[in-house]
Parts: sequence; structure tokens; C-alpha cells
Amino acid sequence: MSKITPKLKYEAISAGDEAPVVSHQLTRTDLVRYAGASGDFNPMHTDEVAAKEAGLPSVFGHGMFSMGLLGRAVTDWAGVGNLKVYGVRFTKQTWPGETLSTRIVVSGKEETAEGRIIIAELALLNQNGEVKLSGTTRVLAA
Amino acid sequence: MNLQEYIGKPTGAGTVHVERGSVSRFAHAVTDANPVYHDLRAAQAAGFDAPPAPPTWTFSSGFLGTWPEDQPADPTGGEGSPMMKIMRELMKNGGLVLHGEQEFRYHQLVQCGAVLHWQGKITDIYTKESKGKVMTFIVMENVFRNQAGEPVVTEIFNLIHRGK
Repeated sequence: MSKITPKLKYEAISAGDEAPVVSHQLTRTDLVRYAGASGDFNPMHTDEVAAKEAGLPSVFGHGMFSMGLLGRAVTDWAGVGNLKVYGVRFTKQTWPGETLSTRIVVSGKEETAEGRIIIAELALLNQNGEVKLSGTTRVLAA
Repeated sequence: MNLQEYIGKPTGAGTVHVERGSVSRFAHAVTDANPVYHDLRAAQAAGFDAPPAPPTWTFSSGFLGTWPEDQPADPTGGEGSPMMKIMRELMKNGGLVLHGEQEFRYHQLVQCGAVLHWQGKITDIYTKESKGKVMTFIVMENVFRNQAGEPVVTEIFNLIHRGK
């Protein structure tokens, strides 16, 4: 049976603590790779001609790619296998060329029947501070 | 269309296989090079039995892990998800369909080699007015269970139709 040791130390974490930032410049290749790996072939993400015909400036990123990128920042910080809840709200589209950066700020912690839990508020922002995703996570700590 | 009558209706069901190839490619696609997703030795060194699936993987698992020979009976009786029916009806007058919110609740680890059974249903439908436009929210839930019937992951999400 798997035995995962939580990476975060409950006693050492307090509200306001921030996780390391993950930054990524979005490319059209990212959109094509995510389409192939996820099965979401909506042409608005992969077909520049179709996207322009629909009145968009270019293809735009999958919301679930953004969620995957932000999820990576959460698991880099809390350790893979320690995620209990991960929820987001999609607020803005992402565009190729934008630099997306994660923001993870601890908002609380609690001891529960399922273990010691750290709660954090999440966001993914572009280089101008525009929020693309906002959300919450609950992760296990030791 | 009386939307309330769709609350509680099944949207689908399936059996999915968590396989190393799809897990590794999916992890790369969300920019995650963490070796636990790609290398059995790294996964085991970190305490896993097998490479785990990254967060959000189950959302794509119908595409990634479905084998035709072990699928359950279709709970919609061949009609397909009632969500599609509602959206088609709403789109007759134009508008836009948006993915508004997405949540994953993990009850157990999702690891390669697992066979999961999912069942989806509509849990709520409501409308709101925003800037003079009618927004119709369809809230859905997919529960993935292991072979023992224990819940492994619950996905809660909504799709929004924004009227013209």
C-alpha cells in the first residue's frame, strides 16, 4: 500500500505564507499538446483560422490547461498525493504569448478526521496582474 | 422547457483505466516534469505503488482511459447527457456556453493500474440575470469509485449558458 509523507509541516505553516511561484509563457504548442493529451479538440484552442473566423484575435488556452498548471504549483509545494480538494473558477481567457504566474497564499489550517489540513487561496495571473483563475485548495500536512 | 425536471438525472457512466502512457503525457501537457508521473522508480521512492495521476487527470479520463469492452450500461438509455439536450435547446436562440467552475475532491490516491467506475448526474440548475443577460447554470457531479465501490474522486463542475 502506498505511504505518502506530507511535505508541509503543519506547525511551521501560518496564514499569509506563500508557496513558490510557477511562471509559464503560454505558446500555441502548449495548446496543441494539451488538446492531444486531454482530448479537448475544440478548434478555438487549436485552429487559428477558425478562431479568427469566429471573431477572436487568436486561439486561446484551455481553461483546464490553466487549472493543470496551477495544480502543478500546488503539488510542487504540498507534494504529489497530498491534495484533498482543488477547486477553481474560470474568470478570463488566456492567450498565447501571455506569461502566467501562480499565486498560492495560506488562509488557514485545521485538524480534521482526515488529517491535518492546510487551506490556501489560489490564483493564476498574467504579466499585468489580470486574474485568469481563482480558487481554493485543501492539502495534507504532517 | 422545465429545467427543474432535469435535476438528479444521470449524465453518463463509464469504466476508465489509469494507464502510465496517458498519465505521463498528460503530466507533460500541464508542464509537469516531476519524475513520479513518468518513472516507476521515482514513484515508488516517493511512497506510491505506481505513478499517480496528476491533479485534474480524471476530467480527461473518459477520453484517455475508456475501453469499449468493459463499459457499463448507459444510464441515459442511449439519449446522451441531458446537459447536451438543454444546451442545444438554449443555443437555438444563440449565446455562449462557458465552463464556470471546476472542483476535484480526492478521497483516495489515483494511481496507474487502477480501474475506476464513474457515474455522473445533474445536481442543480438555476438561472441568474447579469447585465441584462440570462445566465443558466447547470451543476454536475461525477463520482469515480474503485473496484470495492469506495469513492476515489468527486468532480463538481458547472457549465453556464449566457444568453444573447
